[in-house]
Amino acid sequence: MKAYITFTKKEFKEMVSTYRLWIMIAVFLLLGLINPVTAKITPELLKNFQMEGVEIIIAEPGPMDSWMQFFRNIPQMGLVVLVILFSGIVSNEFVQGTLVNMVTKGLSRKTIILSKFTMTVVVWTGSYLICYGVSYSYTEYFWGNSKIDNLNFSVFCLWAFGVILIASLILGGVLFRKSYGSLLFTAGFAAILFTLGIVPKLSKYNPILLASKNMSLLQHHMQVQDFISSIMVTGVGTVLFVVAAVLLFNKKEL
Amino acid sequence: MNILCNEQVSKRFGSHQVLDSVTFSIPEGSVFGFLGQNGAGKTTMMKLILGLLKPDKGTIRVCDETVTYGQTKTNRHIGYLPDVPEYYGYMKPKEYLKMCGEITGMSREEIIKRSQELLGLVGLEQADKKIGGFSRGMKQRLGIAQALLNEPKLLICDEPTSALDPIGRKEILDILGQIKGKTTVLFSTHILSDVERICDRIAVLHDGKLALCGTLAEMKENHKKDSIQIEFNTIEEVEKFMNSKFMMEYLDSSQKKENSIVLHGKDINTMERAAICTLESEMLLPKKLEVLEPTLESLFMEVTR
Repeated sequence: MKAYITFTKKEFKEMVSTYRLWIMIAVFLLLGLINPVTAKITPELLKNFQMEGVEIIIAEPGPMDSWMQFFRNIPQMGLVVLVILFSGIVSNEFVQGTLVNMVTKGLSRKTIILSKFTMTVVVWTGSYLICYGVSYSYTEYFWGNSKIDNLNFSVFCLWAFGVILIASLILGGVLFRKSYGSLLFTAGFAAILFTLGIVPKLSKYNPILLASKNMSLLQHHMQVQDFISSIMVTGVGTVLFVVAAVLLFNKKEL
Repeated sequence: MNILCNEQVSKRFGSHQVLDSVTFSIPEGSVFGFLGQNGAGKTTMMKLILGLLKPDKGTIRVCDETVTYGQTKTNRHIGYLPDVPEYYGYMKPKEYLKMCGEITGMSREEIIKRSQELLGLVGLEQADKKIGGFSRGMKQRLGIAQALLNEPKLLICDEPTSALDPIGRKEILDILGQIKGKTTVLFSTHILSDVERICDRIAVLHDGKLALCGTLAEMKENHKKDSIQIEFNTIEEVEKFMNSKFMMEYLDSSQKKENSIVLHGKDINTMERAAICTLESEMLLPKKLEVLEPTLESLFMEVTR
């Protein structure tokens, strides 16, 4: 346990000194601001483009527009930044050979994987919460959030999808030892999920549901129970990825 | 008691047999020099001992415990200095040692005490900057400090001096000399003078097999060949010397090198007498006449030829 805490602290130090933590916070803070502000000013901008003789009818923006921006920007930008920033989390140590000293000091390989997973999830959760907090406050200030149902659950779904992506990054890093290997593995994983999305029978189990149908939940086109199977699959998938990463890492020559 | 026992250890990478049934053991308290050309399999052997690689055959025991690949429990007895030690560049030496100590389960007081002692021993007590800015020699010295942190019974150093300048090399050897007696050291190198300076036992690895193994004194004794080197002023003098009738029986086994000649024979006394008689009868005055001791270099060349 002491070794786990020590190595997790080291991971934190690394994220601070390689600026990954600050980039995550900055990007998610910015995204948090952009969501409500874009929703607010888009109609104003469009009004300026209005030409003579053409009338553009624009609905008054509301909280739903702000959250639409949120659930579009986080999967399209936030998750991409997360994946790129943390693609080297395992492979960098392979490439630089820094784990040799740690393992020969008796640090178990399981601890290394679990520490890396823990710290990345903590950073993802922290930056995501900042983004959510900022978006929520501004939306509250502009329009109020009281009419939005299932918001917290929808936000949780997207978070869970981020966690399975982190697990796949770590497994990819152990498998390929190179940061682009881990990047390609995660991209491949996401691509498979998207492809499977076209099979109607499977769609309710597909983890991609958690990152793509959030607005349907807010707009009452889908219900909370429609997401339960997908959440289960995502949870089990995450655990399987991490366990596989540990087992494979035990067999890797350093 | 033996700290390390290797029995019939073999390892193959693809079609290349790196180690082939290597058997040797290291008694407690000795400084064991592990020699071999580049690519002879020294690093592979060390990584096998550390459980970083999986042997194809054979068993390795450290302090009477069998080494298992992947689960590196036996490493609590071992301190390891890799050939090129790599650190987290953003840490300072003390931070790094603190992390290493916590990983091995040392108490806070112990870590502080040992870190100070060791940074003093390796001469880094003043170096309070990030490891990223360290020179190769400083990294190597920090490597020794981290390897000795938890007072290991066995210290494994993989070519600790090969990439250092003469001062750096001397410093590392001095440090290893200081811990001699307290810790058993396994030390790989291809620099023979380093071995002669600090090792009491050696093993030479060649073509994946153990070509030589034993104490340095034993080995020199076993491979002793009586030789005399005589140096002249000109090549003509060498010719004149070798054409003498006293030298007939040494003609085949002698080696000529510019102005000097090396004679090999079974009995040093007879050979020396013959040489002096020749010098007298041919009226030759040599620049130098020397009875050659067997060197580690000649031994090494002999077994790796």
